[in-house]
Amino acid sequence: MSKSKNVLVALAFLAPAILAVSILRIWPALVAVHESLLAPRATTYSLDNYIYIFTDPIFQSSVVTTLFFSIVVNPLQIAVALGLAILLNNKLPGTGFWRTLILLPVAIPASVSAVVWAAALRPDGLANAMLAVFGIGPQPFLTSPQQALACIILVTSWIGVGYWMTILLAGLQDIPKSLYEAARIDGMNRGQQFRFVTLPQLRRPLTFVLVADTVANFLVFAPVQILTRGGPQRSTNLIMHEIYTRAFATGDKSSAYAATVVLILLMLTVVAIQFRMMGDQGDKA
Amino acid sequence: MTTARIKPARVLHIATIAAAGIVFFLPLWWIFISAMRPEDDIFRYLNPIGWETFLPTRWTFDHFVALFQSTFGRSIFNSLFVAVATVAGGLIVCTLAAFALAVIEFPGRNIVFTLMIVSFLIPFDAIALPLYYVMRGAELQNTYLGLILPGVGNGLAVFLLRQFFLGLPKELREAAMVDGMGWFQVFWRIYLPLTGPAMISAGLIMFIFQWQAYLWPLLIAPATEYKVAAVSIAQFNSAYGIAFGPIMAGAMCISLIPMLILVFFQPYFTNSVASTGSKE
Amino acid sequence: MTSIVKTALAAAMAAALSSVSAAAVMAQDVTLTLISAEQDAVVAPVIAAFEAKYPNIKVQHQSIPFESMNATIEARIGGQDSSIDVMFVDSPRVPAMVSRGYLKSLEDLRGEIEPLVTPVALDALSVNGTIYTLPLWTSTQMMFYNKDLLDKAGIPYPGSNAEDRLTYQQIVDLSKKAQAAGAKYGFTFEQVDRYYQLQPIFESVGAGSGLTGEGNLTASITNDNWVKGAQFYSSLFADGIAPRGVPVGQIPPLFSNGEVAFFVGGPWRLDGFQKAEGLKFGVAPVPYFEGGKPVTPTGSWALAVSPYSAHPDEAMLLAKFMTLDPEGAFKTVEANPIPPVNLKAFDIYIDWFAAKFEGVGEDAKKIMTYELRDTAISRPLSAGYVAFEEVMNRVFGDLRNGADVVPTLQDAERELNSTLSRIQ
Repeated sequence: MSKSKNVLVALAFLAPAILAVSILRIWPALVAVHESLLAPRATTYSLDNYIYIFTDPIFQSSVVTTLFFSIVVNPLQIAVALGLAILLNNKLPGTGFWRTLILLPVAIPASVSAVVWAAALRPDGLANAMLAVFGIGPQPFLTSPQQALACIILVTSWIGVGYWMTILLAGLQDIPKSLYEAARIDGMNRGQQFRFVTLPQLRRPLTFVLVADTVANFLVFAPVQILTRGGPQRSTNLIMHEIYTRAFATGDKSSAYAATVVLILLMLTVVAIQFRMMGDQGDKA
Repeated sequence: MTTARIKPARVLHIATIAAAGIVFFLPLWWIFISAMRPEDDIFRYLNPIGWETFLPTRWTFDHFVALFQSTFGRSIFNSLFVAVATVAGGLIVCTLAAFALAVIEFPGRNIVFTLMIVSFLIPFDAIALPLYYVMRGAELQNTYLGLILPGVGNGLAVFLLRQFFLGLPKELREAAMVDGMGWFQVFWRIYLPLTGPAMISAGLIMFIFQWQAYLWPLLIAPATEYKVAAVSIAQFNSAYGIAFGPIMAGAMCISLIPMLILVFFQPYFTNSVASTGSKE
Repeated sequence: MTSIVKTALAAAMAAALSSVSAAAVMAQDVTLTLISAEQDAVVAPVIAAFEAKYPNIKVQHQSIPFESMNATIEARIGGQDSSIDVMFVDSPRVPAMVSRGYLKSLEDLRGEIEPLVTPVALDALSVNGTIYTLPLWTSTQMMFYNKDLLDKAGIPYPGSNAEDRLTYQQIVDLSKKAQAAGAKYGFTFEQVDRYYQLQPIFESVGAGSGLTGEGNLTASITNDNWVKGAQFYSSLFADGIAPRGVPVGQIPPLFSNGEVAFFVGGPWRLDGFQKAEGLKFGVAPVPYFEGGKPVTPTGSWALAVSPYSAHPDEAMLLAKFMTLDPEGAFKTVEANPIPPVNLKAFDIYIDWFAAKFEGVGEDAKKIMTYELRDTAISRPLSAGYVAFEEVMNRVFGDLRNGADVVPTLQDAERELNSTLSRIQ
C-alpha cells in the first residue's frame, strides 16, 4: 500500500480524535492566544501583556519556582515509581492489594486530599506527632518558605506516584524472562541486568511516564491553591496558581492568557527535548 | 523438591511492600474514620498521636445522613455515568487514533502526533472560559454531553496507546498484509485483542480525568440534576464555616467507587502481553 | 347581521380573547434560576414562601461553591447567559461587577430601599451614589471566651456591654495569663489571613482601609499605622498566643475543643459552639486598639437581578421578596442565622435568634444590635477590591508565618499598584 493511499485510511481512524481535540482543546487555546495579544481595553494587537508579565517580578519568580520544582520533582517521582514497581513486580501473596492501595490516592478528589494533608502538616498536626515518636522536633512545614515547596512535592507525589508505578509495572512485566536468563548466563549481576536489560526494555513506557509526569508537574495547581495559596512568601507560587489567580481573582484575563501561552511553549520545548533524549522516532518497533 | 521455606529475604520484601502500602493508605484511612466520628472529634486527636488518632472513640452516621439529604446521591450517579460514558466513547476514539499513529505509515503522521501531544499540554483550567463559550454556542450547558465530550479526545490516552502499539512487532502487520487484510481488519482482528492491559490503563486515565474534574463541571453543569460529586460536596464549604463531617463522608463515598474499580481491574493492568504469545 | 351587532360581537370577542390570553400568560409557569453559595437547605424556606405567594413562578436554586463564584459569574454573566435570573453577590465585588456591566441600576427602587437600611448598608449597595444591589444579609463579630480556661487563670469574665470593651493590649495580657494556666492558645481570630476579619485592626488604629485615591485604586499599606497594626498581628503568632499554621477552616474546632481562651468570630458560630460537648463559653464585644476607635467588620451577600435574565419582571419579584419584604427577608435567614440587612426583618430575626441560645442569647442580641448600629465599617468600595483582597490575604498569611513586616508590606504595595493599574 502506498503511503499516500494510507492517508485516507489513517484519516478515517483519526477523524473523531482530531475533531474532538481541535474543537475542544486547540480552538479554545487559540482563543486564549488571541486574547493574550490584546492589552486590557485595547483594540489593536500588541505584545503588551507579554511585556507586562515578563517585567513582573512575581511572574518571573513563579517561572523560576516552577522550573526548580520541575527539576527536583520529576526525577524523584520517576525514581520512586520505578523503585516501587520493581518492589511490587512479584507474585507474593497480597501484592495486588498493596498495589491497589498505592494507586488509590490518584482517584481521590484533590480538594479532599488537600484537607487531609493540611491537617497532617499543621505545626500541631499528625506529621509532627509522628516525628515526635522518633524524637524529631516539630517542623514548620507549610509555614516555612524553606519547607513549603518540599511539602507540595510530598503531596503531589503521594497523589501521583502510584499511577506512574502502575505503568512501569506493566512495562516490567512485559519484559521476557528469557532476556534475564541470557544476561545471567552471560555473567551479569543484578545491577548490570538492570542497566542493560531492564532500562532499555522499559524505554517506551519510561518515555510515556517521563513526558506525562513532567507535564502533570508543570500543571500542578490544586494542592497549591488549597494548602499554601502560593505562599509562604510566594515560595510555592507555581505557574498554574499564578495563572488562575490572574484570571479569576485579579480579573486580569489577558495577562493570564499570556502566561498560559508562555507555559505551553515552555512545556512544548521540554517535551520535545525529552522525546529527543529518549530516542523516540515514532516508528521503530 | 524443597518444601516452601520462609526465607528472611522474602519476609523483608513483603514487610517493605506492606509498609509502603500502609504509608500511602494512612491519609485515606483518616478520611474514612473522620467521616464516622462526631464533627468535634475530627481534629481533636491530631497531636499527640494515640490510638484515638486512627480509631474513633465515638461513632456516628449523622454525616452520611446530612450528605444524602443534600443532592449528593444524585451527584454520585452523575459522576459515575459521565465517567463510564467518557471511558466507553474515549476508548473507541483514542484506540483508533493511536493505531493510526503507531502502525499506519502516512505523510503528516508526526504532525498529527504533535497535535495530540500539544492537546494535553494545554492546561484545561486555563481554557475553561473559552471552552465554555464554545459549548454554550452548541447549547450544551446542563447536559451530560457537555460533561462527557471534553473527556473523550484525551491526548494522554492516545499517547499511551500509541506507545503500546509501537511495542508490538511489525511482523504482525506484515503477515496480515500479505494475507490481503485491510487496515481495519488488521486493527480489529490482530491488534485490538492484544490491547487489553493498555486499554485498561488508558481507560483509567480518562476515568480519573472525569472523576477529578471540578471547575469544568461547575461551569457547564451546575444544575442539581447534572451536578457531579466533587462539586456537590463543595457546598459544605460555606463562607460561614466548613462542615468537615459531611465532606469526609462524601470523600469516603467518592473514593470507594474508584477503589472498587481498581481492586477489580488491578490484576488486568499488568497482564503480560507475553501470555498471548507474541513476545516469545 | 346589522353593523351594531357585528361591532358588539367583535368587541365581545376581543374582550374574551384578551382575557383568555391574559389568563394564559398568568397560567404560564415561569422558572427562575437563583444562584448562591449556600446549601439548598438554606434557601429552601424562602423559596417555599415565595412559591406559595406566586404560584405560577417556580424557583430553581443552584448552589455554587464559594471560591468558584467569581469564575461562575465571569463565565455566565460575562458571557451574557440567560441561565441566571437572580444571584447572590458578594458586596465588596459590586464595583468590579458594575464596571464590567454585570449589574443594572436599581435607582428606581431607592424610595423602597432607603427606609429599610442603615446608611452604612446603603453605601454597600451603591457605586458612586447609584444603587445596584438589594440588601440581603450583613454580618458582625463578637468575642467568645472559654469560661473554664478563664476560671483556671483567675480571669473575670468580660462584660457584654459596649463600655466593657477591652483593648487588644489587655487581651494580649489576659491571653498570656490563660496560657500560663494551661490554655494551648490565648487568642485567635476566626478567619485568620482574611481581609474581612482583619480590616478592623487597621481601621481601629487609624491606618485606613489600605486603599485610597480616585476610585480606591491606589494602595496605601506602608504608612506608620499600617506597620503598627501589621506588627501587632504578626506578634500574636510570633509570641505563640495565636495558632500558626492551622488552616482557616480548622480554626473554629480549636475553640470547640477547648484549646483557645478568646475567639473573635461571627454569630454563626453560636450554634456549633453551643453543641460542642463540654464547652462553656460567654460572649463579649470585640477588642479595639487603645487610643483608637472600636470597629467591627460588616457586610455579606447582597442580591441582584442579572441584566441578561429572560424573565426580568418575575426575577425582580423574587429579588424584592427576599430583601424588601420583611417576612421574606426573615425567611432567608431562618435556616442560616445571619442578620438580614432589612431593619424590619432584623427586629423579627434578633428576638427569634436570641431565644435559641440559652444563657448567651441575650448578650449576643445586645452586642449584635449596638455593633451593627455604631461600629460597623464596610470593606472599601473599589473595582480592584478582589485583586486587593487576594494580595492582602497573602500578606496576612506571610505575616502569620513570620515574614518581616516592613519588607512584606512594601513588596505588596508595589505589587498592588502594578496590578491595580491594569484595572480601570
